[in-house]
Amino acid sequence: MIFEDDETLRMYVEESKDHLVDIENDLLLIEEAGENIDEDLVNNVFRAAHSIKGGAGFMGLSKIKELAHKIENVLGMVRSREIVPNPDMISILLKAFDTLREMVHDVEHSNEMDISEHVTVLVGLTTASLPEDQKESLSTMVDVALPSGRKVLQSSRFDIDHARKEGQFIYLVEYDLIHDIQRKRKTPLDVIAYLLNSGTIIQSKIDIEAVGTLDTDIPAGIPFYVLFASIIEPEIIPSLFDVDESAVHLVTDDMCFPVKAGPVEKKKAATVQFSSPYRAVPMGPEPNSVGLEKEEILPPADESIHVQTEPESHFSDGTQSRSVEKLSVHAESGGDRILQTKHAVSQASLRVSVGLLDLLMTLAGELVLSRNQLMQAVSTNNMRALETAGQRIDMVTSELQEAIMRTRMQSIANVFNKFPRVVRDLAQELGKEVDLIIEGKNVELDKTIIEAISDPLTHLVRNAVDHGIEPPDIRHRLGKSPIGKVKLSAYHEAGQVNIEISDDGKGIDGERLVVSAVKRGLISEQHGSLMSEKEKIALIFLPGFSTAQKVTDVSGRGVGMDVVKTNLDKLGGIVDIDSKVGEGTVIRIKLPLTLAIIPSQIIDVGNERYAIPQVNLNELLRIPAAQVKNRIEKVGDASVVRLRGNLLPLLNLAQVLQIRKTYNDPQDGRNMPERRENIADRRSRKNPLFTSWEDTEEVQNEPTGRLNEEELRVRSGQERRINIKSAVNIAVVSAGAFKYGLVVDQLRDSEEIVVKPLGRHLKGCCGYAGATIMGDGKVALILDVAGLAQMAQLTSLEGSDRVNEAILDAAKQKKAEKNKVSLLLFRNSEKEQCAVPLGLVERIERIKAMNIEIVGGRRVIQYRGGALPLFSLDQVAKVKALPNFEQLEVIVFRLAGREVGLMVTPPVDAVDVVVNIDTITLRQTGVMGSAIIGDYTTLIIDIYEVVRTLHPEWFDEAEIQPAPQGGVTILFAEDSAFFRNQVKGFLQEEGYHVIDAEDGQEAWELLGQHGDSIDLVLTDLEMPNLDGFELTAKIKGDKRYAHLKVVALTSLAGDEDFAKGKKYGIDDYQIKLDRDRLIETVRAHLDHIKRD
Amino acid sequence: MQEKSQRKQNKIIELATFYIGDALCGIDILNIQEINRHLEVTWIPQAPEYVLGVLNLRGRIVTVIDLGKKLGLSPISPGKDNRNIIVDSRDEHIGFLVDRISDVMIAETEKIEPAPSNIGGVQGKYFKGVFKTENSLIGVLDINAALKDE
Repeated sequence: MIFEDDETLRMYVEESKDHLVDIENDLLLIEEAGENIDEDLVNNVFRAAHSIKGGAGFMGLSKIKELAHKIENVLGMVRSREIVPNPDMISILLKAFDTLREMVHDVEHSNEMDISEHVTVLVGLTTASLPEDQKESLSTMVDVALPSGRKVLQSSRFDIDHARKEGQFIYLVEYDLIHDIQRKRKTPLDVIAYLLNSGTIIQSKIDIEAVGTLDTDIPAGIPFYVLFASIIEPEIIPSLFDVDESAVHLVTDDMCFPVKAGPVEKKKAATVQFSSPYRAVPMGPEPNSVGLEKEEILPPADESIHVQTEPESHFSDGTQSRSVEKLSVHAESGGDRILQTKHAVSQASLRVSVGLLDLLMTLAGELVLSRNQLMQAVSTNNMRALETAGQRIDMVTSELQEAIMRTRMQSIANVFNKFPRVVRDLAQELGKEVDLIIEGKNVELDKTIIEAISDPLTHLVRNAVDHGIEPPDIRHRLGKSPIGKVKLSAYHEAGQVNIEISDDGKGIDGERLVVSAVKRGLISEQHGSLMSEKEKIALIFLPGFSTAQKVTDVSGRGVGMDVVKTNLDKLGGIVDIDSKVGEGTVIRIKLPLTLAIIPSQIIDVGNERYAIPQVNLNELLRIPAAQVKNRIEKVGDASVVRLRGNLLPLLNLAQVLQIRKTYNDPQDGRNMPERRENIADRRSRKNPLFTSWEDTEEVQNEPTGRLNEEELRVRSGQERRINIKSAVNIAVVSAGAFKYGLVVDQLRDSEEIVVKPLGRHLKGCCGYAGATIMGDGKVALILDVAGLAQMAQLTSLEGSDRVNEAILDAAKQKKAEKNKVSLLLFRNSEKEQCAVPLGLVERIERIKAMNIEIVGGRRVIQYRGGALPLFSLDQVAKVKALPNFEQLEVIVFRLAGREVGLMVTPPVDAVDVVVNIDTITLRQTGVMGSAIIGDYTTLIIDIYEVVRTLHPEWFDEAEIQPAPQGGVTILFAEDSAFFRNQVKGFLQEEGYHVIDAEDGQEAWELLGQHGDSIDLVLTDLEMPNLDGFELTAKIKGDKRYAHLKVVALTSLAGDEDFAKGKKYGIDDYQIKLDRDRLIETVRAHLDHIKRD
Repeated sequence: MQEKSQRKQNKIIELATFYIGDALCGIDILNIQEINRHLEVTWIPQAPEYVLGVLNLRGRIVTVIDLGKKLGLSPISPGKDNRNIIVDSRDEHIGFLVDRISDVMIAETEKIEPAPSNIGGVQGKYFKGVFKTENSLIGVLDINAALKDE
């Protein structure tokens, strides 16, 4: 039931919105100032409330009026320093303003809203600070009557008294809407605004009753009564109002009558309601309105009850916070509604600067001129003119596009401005102290983006306050300032907008995220251990992830970080987190300026054209046919490409989308299954889809660049004809922090495309972000880079470079597990590279050739008071003699209880390599085999054999001497000859008797044969026929052998293997070739047996 | 007054009829935006089987559906009589590809009988009813049921 003059109402709403814009910040400033009340600020807010109230009275927006009025009362008392602002009070005011805003945004329904809670609390505020005797006045209503005795208005006694107390005069002004306002070409709002300049409006009302019904005579005027308080003296006041002197009455006590309950209700029902001017039927006391009015009158009764129940305690903590909480629940639900209505409103209208509109107009004019030019050129068939016209239209459209885009641009302040309040409320709720710093409010973004980032940003800011900033006592203990800092900044960079949310809180603990993610089964433990700190933090974006130990009502708002990320992804945004435990977190968001028109890269796969948004595109890569073999590798099922030292996972677009080989039937335009079996068959040159450029290419009798796994395999297998078309085109794209290469057939132009949504039947296809119409009128799909990765099951986690690499490495390692060794590389002669397992080396010495003595036909060098026997490889193996250098490197080994030195040529270098040891080709005495290391064929030296050949007696001695452990036998299963020899070697050296087996099966059989004599089992894990796990299971499952200790040897002790081994009953783990520890372990286990 | 209510009950509707294979179907002509033979359809990999692709209809992206497949009949066989019937459903243009277009029939709603639960192998849920003419049966399609996304 409101004034339905659209124009006026709209103006009122717009104006009120303007008033409300800065309220929050002002209130927050007032809160900050505390006792040092800044009157200007309070006045600002007061005026806002007051103007809203003034207009509302005129519009018949009774609820708005009431709420604004109560707010005004409180502010009035703040202004006169009767109340000192405190956080609780500001909270109440903020929430009241929230509701007020909500009502203003939805004026049509404002009268139906329930504001009783606000009213109660606000009145509570005013009464609490009033002296006892005045409290009553607050709840007492008085009728104000004209001198004629006609009661026209109702007001609270408190308002009148309050104004008088401030030395103001109260006037009752009688406007006539027709004569005083409309005829003078003013609007009611003008009048109200004018009045507000010189005083306050206590109450206002349009008296419809006085107008009468249609049956009576045409009314002389529509009276509009204003109860006005001002310090202006009665003598000069009529000139102020611009009305007849007789219409201004100074209100005296004689004119105020206490309200009598019954009749007033009735009367009000008939008067206050202002009906639409268009309503044919004059206002009767409608049931509805009576109900409403009752409510409006009821509060006084309510208030008095309230005052009685908790008069003083209102500011004592307990009740106060309870009532605030109660309110907050209400406001929260209201808040959502605000968002909704705001949304609707923001879509309905937009403010555009006149300058911009003028520019648009000019451009539109130019466009028309260019069109004329074009038409003329076409009709006269003038090619040159056509060309110029084309250019001109090109230019004008770009400019026009830009200008229109600008109309959609809004300042990010629209979003940022709500955060001081959010942070304040939250901090208060959580008992934290937080400073919010905002920078870059003037950065502009497309309005759709502004609307869309509001929620994700709110979530991030709330997170920063809730999870980031520590409570003050903890901060204090950590030596931080007790006041936490949250910084929100926006800036332009490279055609994108960056938004940063940083806090100086506790940061994100990557380890905890990993633990949590593993627990939830989102990643495997091995993954977790391989992740970089950044990747660990990025786990927070995984769906179904929340580290909050308990769901607070703050974080439990149903939006997880994954939703934030999805939302930002949808906008083409990129999120990035940097965090240091104990120091804080920085979240960076990159957003495109606009969404409607985006630059993109056009690519071809099969006959289809697709667009990749430039935002997602990192670079384009073309691997010439000759390099395909080297640069594209296959690991397991996945292809990867080496790009500047990193492995980039490759997705074959044709495969992901399952694009069959099809051709476009020129007759009916449909895609038919490809009939050609052989990819090398030629494609029809007449196909309209192919441009002339391609046609020339087509002449070559080679397959198109389409690349599939088979081809890759074929290519890597054997070199094929080198042809431009066999090059592989890769678009390197990124979705968030996660990069991959999209293998496509052709890379085409980069174009600005207009994004159009796809129909609802295609919502299930996650690979597309939309569609666009190309220059030839055909539709091309826009690829959703993140969606494609998902389809190919490259989740952002698994796909991230490092992890991928790790997986690849792990896969490789698994294959090469037995061959991954730490080797000491050295040279014999300058061209001969040799290596020995590093584990066998004691140390390396540098000696001077002249210090070598030849004693008893053997070379020795004095060393630490003893003689170190020296030998060179050429003594044993057929290698070149050592060159004569003045200085020599000596690698010292400890064998059979003695030290020996192998003389070699520098450089000597230790490497960790995966090698395939060829134990056949170059095998000879002292040389175990060969491998390619760093492009050199390297001889792997079997140092045992060398020494045994040179000094067989040493070993005889060792074998004759009873082993210190006494006839202990170890069963050793290992399929790699290299490791078998090495390990067996140093076990024997320690005096153990070793029975070796080439795999688990053999070991099991040997165990059957030797049964009792075996004291310990050493086994490799990965073996053919029967692997280490199963061997262990068999041993442990057999009563005869269950007592045997099983020690597993592995080159990679992953936690996963460890856990698995435990399950099978493996007693211990040792790294292959870590000789000392292995011996130690073996000894420990054997001692154990002995004691038993 | 009585007459009015009667007319309301017995509305006359115009049915645009078309063939899907041998089955004659009809759509209330008021649902139809246009009928064209715009056949430059862009195929969409990974789309549901019944979606033929999308086409550009004066700047709008229109999803084209093989009505035969969608209704569980035989797929539309390509030919020169194929037509796209563009309908408007929930603020979105959607094209039905049909084998060929037939006449516009005038039908009284009263005479449209409820569809048997299984008409010619087609699931009854897609049809509002069956309209009998002298020599044929027309299945009256409920486009909203047919376009319900699954």
